[in-house]
Amino acid sequence: MESTGRVFLVGVLVFALAGAAFAAVSSSDFVAHLDRQVHAISCSYAPGAGGLDETGSSGCYTALMSPFSSVLRAQTWGGIPIALPGLALFAYLFFIALYFSAAPQAFDRHSSRFLVLATLLPVGASAYYLYVSVSIIGAVCKLCVGMYVASGGVFLFSVFAHLGARRARFFVQEVPWGRYAGLFAEGVLFVAVPVALYLALKPLPAAADTQCGSLMYPEDKYGVMVRVNRAPGGRAAIEVIDPLCPACAAFAGRLGGTEYLSSLDIRGVMFPLDKECNWMVPQTVHPGACAVSEAVLCAGNAKAKDVLAWAFAENEKVRTAAKNDPQAGYAAVKKAFPDLSDCLGGAEVKSRLNKSLRWAVSNALPVSTPQLFVDGRRLCEEDTDLGLEYALRTLMELPAALGRDAPAASSPAAQAPKPADGKRPKAK
Amino acid sequence: MNRIALNLAIGAAALVTVSAMTGAWVKSAGARYDAAAAAKAGKEAAAVASASDEKYCSPALETILRRVLTSCGLVKQGEGAKSSSRGCQPVEAKSVAAMSAGDFNALFLPMAQRAAIIQFDKDKADLDAAARALLDKSFADQRGASFFLVVSRASPEGSVAHNRELSEKRANTVLEHLRARFSDPDLEKEVGLLWLGEEFAQLDKTFCTWARSREGECDARALNRSAFIAWIDCHL
Repeated sequence: MESTGRVFLVGVLVFALAGAAFAAVSSSDFVAHLDRQVHAISCSYAPGAGGLDETGSSGCYTALMSPFSSVLRAQTWGGIPIALPGLALFAYLFFIALYFSAAPQAFDRHSSRFLVLATLLPVGASAYYLYVSVSIIGAVCKLCVGMYVASGGVFLFSVFAHLGARRARFFVQEVPWGRYAGLFAEGVLFVAVPVALYLALKPLPAAADTQCGSLMYPEDKYGVMVRVNRAPGGRAAIEVIDPLCPACAAFAGRLGGTEYLSSLDIRGVMFPLDKECNWMVPQTVHPGACAVSEAVLCAGNAKAKDVLAWAFAENEKVRTAAKNDPQAGYAAVKKAFPDLSDCLGGAEVKSRLNKSLRWAVSNALPVSTPQLFVDGRRLCEEDTDLGLEYALRTLMELPAALGRDAPAASSPAAQAPKPADGKRPKAK
Repeated sequence: MNRIALNLAIGAAALVTVSAMTGAWVKSAGARYDAAAAAKAGKEAAAVASASDEKYCSPALETILRRVLTSCGLVKQGEGAKSSSRGCQPVEAKSVAAMSAGDFNALFLPMAQRAAIIQFDKDKADLDAAARALLDKSFADQRGASFFLVVSRASPEGSVAHNRELSEKRANTVLEHLRARFSDPDLEKEVGLLWLGEEFAQLDKTFCTWARSREGECDARALNRSAFIAWIDCHL
């Protein structure tokens, strides 16, 4: 059997191989994080060649750390990366295109139709993830773009191949359901085997490993906590926040993307990493953070969430301005929230901010942000991104040992955070 | 090779490649995870939040502070500690009374940037607006300090007993203002009062350059109608 469509299988092969390469790099980057450490990731249109992101500033990093990069995140630490079945799918398309090329008798209008149908899956997935990237995450990753283009390429060339195959001299008249089923089963096998292997071999932290210390004194005797998330009847949580910390902003976004936010009644404690008010930092990490922290306290429960949302959105701009002018933090926040002007810089709010810091001292907290405590138990720093859903589910399944505002049980002092060997500090 | 064999051969090769890559990545991550867990105990912990301890906190200063604060009820000294006491005179603060006035005042010299002098009218213990403002500003600037020391004095006019009583009133006026202005649950544990009357460690004109609530007036008498206030950045 001969078909003019077979020549287009070369295009399918090329794009499937390219898609597999992009998906392989993306999968590899994701899987590397299963060690709960911080790693540089690839972010390039040439998969595996250069474009390393060591600062977490690329669209690839944002996409990787978003809740959309994997599925079943609450069931297994990190979940199953979407890129892994993507890799399997591209490998499968490469396989059948190669098979059809090597066995001309197997390539007819029916098998080419199956090929078109099979390529619809990556095309559909690409369309969905492109929408998610642009509309929800707000960042587009280069590796993902590579996969989108590869998906479009395999689809286009499989359509050409199919159109060519329709003109073949000989073809089977009846729809070969058995052949379709066989090819489909092979596709399922291609996805199932790597995913099963991934699940079987991946490290899974024990429940105890998702808790890194506990609060000795969770009660708010200084009246310095502000409502960050209201969830009546939800689990009592305390978040230690620097309002100008990019890691805090990213964490807020990730937490907001989980289903657990609606079950967490979160109060925030300001912990600006700014030497202007925080004696615990030898150098200012986030200029202007003291002024913005005062604004959060001035805003009170009613408006603290609004001020924090503004600070997270504008953190880079405010930090840059405050780097050269210590008053720029005050100016920025007064411009955004004029009604807080009278309170800002006053003795009372400065004293409250100081008490926020002293709350951290009394609990011997690590000097880092963000930190989340659920019922007094600290979420490990390593679990604030890919492992967030799994760790939150694990923490929330534990009995509420420490009541809201109740004196802490005789728990040990907050342990030091688990070491992170990565190159990028959590709080930037 | 027939079609089925070809299909199986190509399929198996592709599937084994993908699976082998996946297995290698995951096993590598698992090995790093185990290594990190094993090394965890030996690694240095991150900095932990703590109160400040500045360079000026010399052993001599800490010794004096500990004795003053213990005698004044701020620092418990075991089972027999008097938790209800509030403030003291130098005679109660063992070893303070034994110090020379110069040595006592010299202890506070390194705190020039942290201390302030709240001044009062003659024979009065009321805070004026400027005094309240300076007191608020100083108290709000706690930073990592653990203790707020109020050392009140009186100028030599009048009897020793009257001046002792007057300086005690001045110290308590400061404390009352802080209680009213700041709802600080730690206030009673933080603020130490020491009233010196006219008897001990009068301030000399050196202190005129320090932050004061009255700008112009600075003779020795006016300077000692005062309460010296300072957050002490020392661990005790």
